[in-house]
Amino acid sequence: MQPITISLNGREVSGKQGMTILELAREMGVDIPTLCDDPNLTPIGACRICLVENEQNGDLLASCVTPIETGMVISTQSERVIVHRKTIVKLMLASHPDSCLVCNKGNTCTLRRVATDVGVGMIEFERIADAVEIEQLNPFIERDLSKCVLCAKCIRADQELVVVGAIDYFNRGFDAKPATFGDVPLEQSECTFCGTCVAMCPTGAIMDRGRSYHGTASDEVETTCAYCGCGCSISLGLKGDRIIAITPSKKGGPNNGTLCVRGTCASDVIHSADRLTQPMLRQEEELAPASWLDAIEAAAEGFKRVKGLHGPEALAVISSSTCTNEENYLLQRFTRDVLGTNNIDSSARLHNAVNRAALASTIGIMGANSDLDGLEQSDVIIVVGADPDASAPIVSYAIKRAVKYCGAKLILIDPRETGLSTFADIHIRPDYGTDAALLGGMAKAIVDEGLLDEKTVVEKTNNYDGLKASLSKYTAGSAAIEAAHLYAKANSASIVWGTGLTQHAGGADSVRALINLAILTNQTSGLYALEKECNDRGAFTEPLQGFSALEMIEQIEKGAIKSMLIVGENPILAFPDSGRVEKALSLLECLVVSDMFLTETALIADVVLSSSSFAEKEGTYTNFEGRVGKLNTAIDPIAGSLPDWNIILKLAEAMGSPMPFDDINQVSDEITALVGNESKSGPASFAPVDYVAPSDDTNKEYPFKLLTVSDLYSLGSGTSISHSYRLNKYTSEVYVEIAEEDASKLDIKDGDQVKIATPVGELTAIAKVSDSIPTGTIAIPQTLPTGSANVLFDITLDNETKTSLAKTCNVSLEKVVSNG
Amino acid sequence: MVNAPPVDINQIKKIINDYKDSQWPVMPMVEHIQDEIGYIPPQTIPMIAKAVGLFPSQVQSIVTFHDQLYTEPRGKNVVRVCRGTACHVRGGKAILKSIKGRLGLEDGQTSEDFEYTLETVSCMGMCAVAPNMTVGKNIYGNMNLSKVDKVFKKSEG
Repeated sequence: MQPITISLNGREVSGKQGMTILELAREMGVDIPTLCDDPNLTPIGACRICLVENEQNGDLLASCVTPIETGMVISTQSERVIVHRKTIVKLMLASHPDSCLVCNKGNTCTLRRVATDVGVGMIEFERIADAVEIEQLNPFIERDLSKCVLCAKCIRADQELVVVGAIDYFNRGFDAKPATFGDVPLEQSECTFCGTCVAMCPTGAIMDRGRSYHGTASDEVETTCAYCGCGCSISLGLKGDRIIAITPSKKGGPNNGTLCVRGTCASDVIHSADRLTQPMLRQEEELAPASWLDAIEAAAEGFKRVKGLHGPEALAVISSSTCTNEENYLLQRFTRDVLGTNNIDSSARLHNAVNRAALASTIGIMGANSDLDGLEQSDVIIVVGADPDASAPIVSYAIKRAVKYCGAKLILIDPRETGLSTFADIHIRPDYGTDAALLGGMAKAIVDEGLLDEKTVVEKTNNYDGLKASLSKYTAGSAAIEAAHLYAKANSASIVWGTGLTQHAGGADSVRALINLAILTNQTSGLYALEKECNDRGAFTEPLQGFSALEMIEQIEKGAIKSMLIVGENPILAFPDSGRVEKALSLLECLVVSDMFLTETALIADVVLSSSSFAEKEGTYTNFEGRVGKLNTAIDPIAGSLPDWNIILKLAEAMGSPMPFDDINQVSDEITALVGNESKSGPASFAPVDYVAPSDDTNKEYPFKLLTVSDLYSLGSGTSISHSYRLNKYTSEVYVEIAEEDASKLDIKDGDQVKIATPVGELTAIAKVSDSIPTGTIAIPQTLPTGSANVLFDITLDNETKTSLAKTCNVSLEKVVSNG
Repeated sequence: MVNAPPVDINQIKKIINDYKDSQWPVMPMVEHIQDEIGYIPPQTIPMIAKAVGLFPSQVQSIVTFHDQLYTEPRGKNVVRVCRGTACHVRGGKAILKSIKGRLGLEDGQTSEDFEYTLETVSCMGMCAVAPNMTVGKNIYGNMNLSKVDKVFKKSEG
């Protein structure tokens, strides 16, 4: 296509057809001020600050929405442009309060900068009083719409990027403002407090509530968020040694300008007053503060003593999916080389073993093998057993964008109604644990109705006959057949799945059933296994040579394991059957725990080592896409803490076997040298699934099925994120969803206090009567503000993957206290 | 205060269904709802939004942008009195005062029984027969106080 040449400030410049004047000007290094423009949003020409003059005819044009045309003579700073731009800024300021001195946006306010740049001193116009009540009930976002310039960045961020639809323009003229449906406060709307609009707002109209009047960030450090498996690129705004703002990175990353509420609250955790600021040693039954030297020495002595008395197999190490790749590698080496045992596992096994087993045995990959862009470009998306709204927010944004703006078809397979239900073309609600049968039925439909290129499948894959034979026992309902047609005929189809699939008994078979679908239709590049924690994918190691994390608990009970090092994990909350785990861990002769907080597990330790947060160290996390996110040190380790990698090196040295690393980069180099290509080559293999229908094992005593679900306002075992005062303030109660029919039978109303019990534990919760879950089931978040749903589960290991089945269990339910 | 007349949701569902597959459905849909119900009940906005594939906040944005779309219940009879210059010099002020007194309503108010809503307008474009008023779709020109009596007797009778 012919380039288009225009005159820009007297210079001949050319650009591609369809380019706007603003885009071309930026490319040519000509600065045009803007307020409503953002690279991630559709330009709408709302603020008019970017106007330029076409000197051919004197037209004043909003450069952000005007495409270049051959022969244009554009001036970005003619006299008329300057006069009008000044007037526009003055008009904006005429209805803007004089609160710059006390406004938290302060030196980062775009409106103030533009006003200065165009030289507006006196406002001159008569001021328009704009009394707007400031809304501030939620702990996350503060809106002061008297400062709003109606640029609609927040509205576009909400609708185009995160696709929540909580706000739009309301009324018009002087009364216009961005508002929720019904003009209710944000906390009563669909808003998820993702903070995307906060980062974009050019004035002080939308601000972060957490960090009022902390001043302006003087420095920014790019790093990777640690609060789910998405690994968003974030920018930490620093003032001195404090993180005062967290915004999406301007360099893209998997999140491309968006964020979620957990990420925006990360600084609460980092600067929590509850952080451990020095190591602790158990002396005469009490934990007392100790120096690093003494603590490391005591830990090393403990390990050496146990090793000497009982041999190296009496030692074990549990690492965490929140530790970096480098730390996990160091711990592996530490365990094998320094301690001399193979007993090392990580909490990543609890979340990831099922996916890894299923993927490795079929198509030989470790997790998703394409990125979120690929998902967004799919024309058919199946989401099964996942609630990405809560568990992986940016995945949910991508799915919703694909459906709403690119016409993708969404097939949702979930017993519950989730945030994706309203976006779904087909919503199949199977019984719990029967996903493999449903997916098998879909595969059968694809084979029976010839929706596949059978010749290629036979040629290019293994075990097609085996699969075919296994499908005879399945049937497909009409919805499943329709879904099979959609999926098989797609140009590019993706499947997204989560813990709803993997944490049931036989989870690996369910995953195999969906991989079979993908192999049948040659869609194996669109498989997205969601991960729970920030480094679930990187921290998981196979093959397991010693005991798995949960088997270690049994081994302690048997007296085989006598001493343990636990790094960055809180098994008492993170593992099933909290009571049993606590009892077992307290049997240890020497328990060493490294953590940022005095967790339930640290409380019973003999040595507690105070570790640093992700903002205080270097390293890498591997997100669910397989993308390696870099951590950069934003602040020095908070007083008295050390990064886990540093602690491991110190322990090795005290054990008398120092490891040959001085800094984390040397560790990265060694990993790079050792790790080859992670995917196997060769044909994909079908994995016939021997499906066994889950038996209804509810009984008179425990008649309800409890389902644990993800929650946007908590994560993992809750150990770390529970130290965000804002998240705590927002969800301080444990809620249990109860189906309408069950609630009326038990005479339970909204707000009643109920008791949920299993043979191993019980907890009380506030009832929330809901029409989005099936009768006979109740749902609570996996992570609770006051602990973890794990207190209700016993340690049942999946035979194949040695992981826990912490998705459903049978419970009793009774009303304790009526609400009012 | 008497509650607003109940809204027949089925009637609204039918209107939504009639329009939802047309090309730009929102405006004709909400105009038709307003013609039938007198206003656009806010509780129906999520239904409209779902039918046309928008968020409720987006439909609300469209409805609140247009001055002639209403989200609050209005009287069966909407009385509009002109306050334009021509009407003013020919006695429009007295007409308005008389109607306010008769209905017990101020500008913009709706009677408790939802019989009347009183509004003023800036010009009706028929200054030659000023002063003017309208009741629903009926237009009354050359108004005087005794004609006001007649108009209201008629609409009450």
